[in-house]
Amino acid sequence: MPSEENVPQRYDAIVIGGGHNGLISGAYLAKGGLRTLVLERREILGGATLTQEIFPGFRFSVVSYVVSLLRPEIIRDLQLPRHGLHILPLDGTFTPTDGDHLWRTDDHAHTMRELRRWSVSDAEAYEEYGQLMAQMARFIKPILAMTPTDPRRPDPRDAASLGALVKDFGGLSRRQQLTFIQLMTMSAAEFLDRWFETAPLKGTMSASGIIGTYLGVHSPGTAYVLLHHYMGEIDGAFRAWGIPKGGTGGVAAAIASAARAVGTEIRTEAPVAEIMTRDGRATGVVLESGEEIEADHVLASTDAKVTFLDLLPSGTLTPDFEAEVRRFRFRGSSGKVNLALDGLPSFTSLPDAGEHLRGAMSFSPSLDYMEQAYDDAKAGRFSRRPYIDTIIPTLVDPTMAPPGKHVMSCFVQYAPYKLTEGTWDDQKEAFGDAVVDVIAERAPNIRDLILHRQVVTPLDMERDIGLTEGNIFQGELSLEQLFFNRPVPGWSRYKTPVENLWLSGSSAHPGGGIMGANGRLAALKVLEAKRNGGAA
Amino acid sequence: MTAQRWDAIVIGGGHNGLICATYLAKAGLSTLLLEQRDTVGGAVGTSEIAPAARVPTLAHTVGRLTASVARELNLSGNGLRLVQPAALVTSIGSDAGPVTLWADPDRSAAELAAVSAGDGAAWVSFDAEVRALASTLWRLLLMTPPDTREANPDVLVSGLRFGWRYRRLEARLAREFTRMLPMSIADYLEDRLESDALRAMLATRGIRYTAMGPHMAGTSAVMLTDSAGNAGGAAGETVYARGGPGALAAALANAAREAGVEIRTGAEVVAIRDDHEAVNGVALADGEEIEAGTIVSGLDPRTTLQDLIDPETLGPELGWEVDNLRDRGVTAKVNLALSELPSFEGLDGEDGAMRLRGRIVIAPSMRYLDQAADASKYGRISEAPWLEATIPSLVDPLLVDGAAAGGVKHVMSVLVQTAPYALRDGDWDHEREPLGDLVVKTLETAAPGISKQVVARQVLTPVDLERDFGLAGGHPLHLEPGFDQWFAWRPLLGYARHRMPVEGLYLCGSGSHPGGGVTGLPGRNAARAVLADRKAAR
Repeated sequence: MPSEENVPQRYDAIVIGGGHNGLISGAYLAKGGLRTLVLERREILGGATLTQEIFPGFRFSVVSYVVSLLRPEIIRDLQLPRHGLHILPLDGTFTPTDGDHLWRTDDHAHTMRELRRWSVSDAEAYEEYGQLMAQMARFIKPILAMTPTDPRRPDPRDAASLGALVKDFGGLSRRQQLTFIQLMTMSAAEFLDRWFETAPLKGTMSASGIIGTYLGVHSPGTAYVLLHHYMGEIDGAFRAWGIPKGGTGGVAAAIASAARAVGTEIRTEAPVAEIMTRDGRATGVVLESGEEIEADHVLASTDAKVTFLDLLPSGTLTPDFEAEVRRFRFRGSSGKVNLALDGLPSFTSLPDAGEHLRGAMSFSPSLDYMEQAYDDAKAGRFSRRPYIDTIIPTLVDPTMAPPGKHVMSCFVQYAPYKLTEGTWDDQKEAFGDAVVDVIAERAPNIRDLILHRQVVTPLDMERDIGLTEGNIFQGELSLEQLFFNRPVPGWSRYKTPVENLWLSGSSAHPGGGIMGANGRLAALKVLEAKRNGGAA
Repeated sequence: MTAQRWDAIVIGGGHNGLICATYLAKAGLSTLLLEQRDTVGGAVGTSEIAPAARVPTLAHTVGRLTASVARELNLSGNGLRLVQPAALVTSIGSDAGPVTLWADPDRSAAELAAVSAGDGAAWVSFDAEVRALASTLWRLLLMTPPDTREANPDVLVSGLRFGWRYRRLEARLAREFTRMLPMSIADYLEDRLESDALRAMLATRGIRYTAMGPHMAGTSAVMLTDSAGNAGGAAGETVYARGGPGALAAALANAAREAGVEIRTGAEVVAIRDDHEAVNGVALADGEEIEAGTIVSGLDPRTTLQDLIDPETLGPELGWEVDNLRDRGVTAKVNLALSELPSFEGLDGEDGAMRLRGRIVIAPSMRYLDQAADASKYGRISEAPWLEATIPSLVDPLLVDGAAAGGVKHVMSVLVQTAPYALRDGDWDHEREPLGDLVVKTLETAAPGISKQVVARQVLTPVDLERDFGLAGGHPLHLEPGFDQWFAWRPLLGYARHRMPVEGLYLCGSGSHPGGGVTGLPGRNAARAVLADRKAAR
């Protein structure tokens, strides 16, 4: 079909998907001098980071809710603060329990007093733990920025960075080496059990190990994610957890603005139907409208399944490769409940408004509670008493709701995509009720405050945002799906079996979370290929 | 009694202790082996639970014994006879009815075709894949792991061997190797096989003796380790020692004595003596002190380092690490003397008896395994435990020779998983017999009438494993086989080369690499470490 415009529809690079990774790829490519087009299926940018006004006056960060891991080099390279990125610090975590609570904040003395109330030895261990974790984070951070090497065909270009890593490991103390091994191999629960005895402390800390996975806190491999909490702190300028002004969509807006500033073209409502190929090489895309756009390089920030099985014409890939993609596990396990509130919740153990509402409120009273939530998921049903991580963004960013009103954002786990009985559309409201029930146990006035409720199930995330099986990380972050195995063993370097087609979303290394590393590294790979071999 | 100074004392006469002592004595060291119980063998033993009716006390198969160890110690010359039945394992109680996997993969494939056409077609290549991956892992298990603090030339050699073996794998399998190891056994099998009954039956191999459920990461590696270095393949080894596992212990003891090891039973070591620099002897419960420059412990790491070593010598840092070792078991054992061969549904006559010669697994579905593991996670005994049983008297009638007078025709050995050492409510002294009842009740669902056939019963709880066999936490593998207690950091980082934090003290049991299961490798490799150090000191 001829193009609608007379200008030749030809780009150096096309990026499929206007989520944060796609936009970051687009920005880096344009910065590298390539004529770049980003195509977004929906009318708004942001993908899973979008913010929408679902009910009049109330703006919800529909899927994601906090920013923690956005790589500092990206913030720097793209000058995001200048494009409106403003992260409002999220202070503290409040964990209500039966008749009591554990409230940790950035005020060290306060947190120590609070921990001592629960356990003197935990207060001591907490400091030592924090220091050790920060050291570990400093050691591990470079791994996130590395292109993973394939053990089967080690790339000599990776030898230097791998060598440095081995040398760094050798330079760690025995205690640090041991901790590193344990973080990589243990479950969050067992790891925390070595350090602490306070149930709500362990329950709440363990939660970061299971977010977005179909694993329980007792499953090995979940300890590693505990470190992510300490990654942000060492950059100094960037807080560990924060809420972007204007919702998580504010991140996408800033990146889009930065991308446009360097010349990236961005088109919304431009769903891609197919990736065009010729002789095993990507040559452009066909939109659902029939429009064809040619490009030397195609970067897909869509997940591995959508990219390889839906967008590529069948027969492009070998059956072996397709089989590997089918094996890649998504298994979305989380849902989101967004509440529009008439006022602020009041917790039984610490009534009325207060600073504790300005941080995260975590419904994770113990490791057993967390694990039992997972037991339900294993049986193919949503957690009857789920783990919930809530924030009230309107307390730090009042623009998100009408005056006096509030928005409460509840991240909920577990909500397994595959239900043993019934469908998500039938169970959606029951799931929402379960969430409200758990909150109401600790903050009984919540029921009367709810003006509107939006329940986002894994099925909704798949249908609306294009996340296969509703996995927020575009593929489970389990050990066997990380590093050189992500998304397909042997194809972890953003390259795909189709020449000039690159994977730049969270399905690629190092995985999900609003990090942006994937989008950046993929773009750098393309620029490198371009330098080395022209269009090929 | 003249005070004699020994070159080496081995504490604990389990299979690894016996093997280690034998290698030391063969190399010319005067070696004394001290065993607390009145027989050697440890977890490898045979119990007489009714007059003339003998049953495997704990472990019931011995197929993981490393062939080179058996050869070097001339175990066949010392009376060991091994028997492998045609049937390796039969699963009972699933929707699919009884399913048997045979030593001959083609025969298994033919049988599986009736359960699932896809699995029937896939079996032979799946079995070959497991064998290829396991033989690669085997190179890793054979090696003495590196010490992170110094260069180890032997690791270079063994590392290259492993690398060479890995490179020889075809590309797809090489990728599968690194991908599979951290996976859960449930996910791995879901990728490979269709039938839930078959998956559950095989998944037991990833969680047997462990405190994990089939959906926990790392359980694939447990299964692969179980397949490494033996002929079992994907179905798993089923090899009996004629006369029961005690016959293996007896053969090992013969080999030890023949090599010149002095074995003393009933000799409980209560302390390892040291001068804060190096060990110099042991103290026995009766007050006797025995000197030696080298002490090798076949006991678990916690008992060795926490109970026997002076805490001052160990220091607070290592003391804390030892305290945090994960060694709480969930395995119990129920041994039965039976008046008849139990009649399992669908397993009658000659054909049925043939199938019952393999391991008998009651783990009807993945969900069943999950639920059983969930209960033990919270310190409860699952009301529906999964079981692995053997009826060794079918293969080895001598086990019940002369027992007919007491009304016993067969013996049955049942491993019960999901019996947590630390019960949240109650204690094992009160739960022991209820556990026996629960196991018989569970068997009754698969073999109606079995409860009336039970003539005698022996129940060993995790607490019994600790008290009677000296296994801290009742863990049959000494330490949980997780990746956090693996390879160069089993039992502790920097102490995986059998050398413990005190000079002259070595560990030769399952708590060291490559871990539990009756392979004999920890014992042999520890002896090598001792001998290498003596050579270097000269």
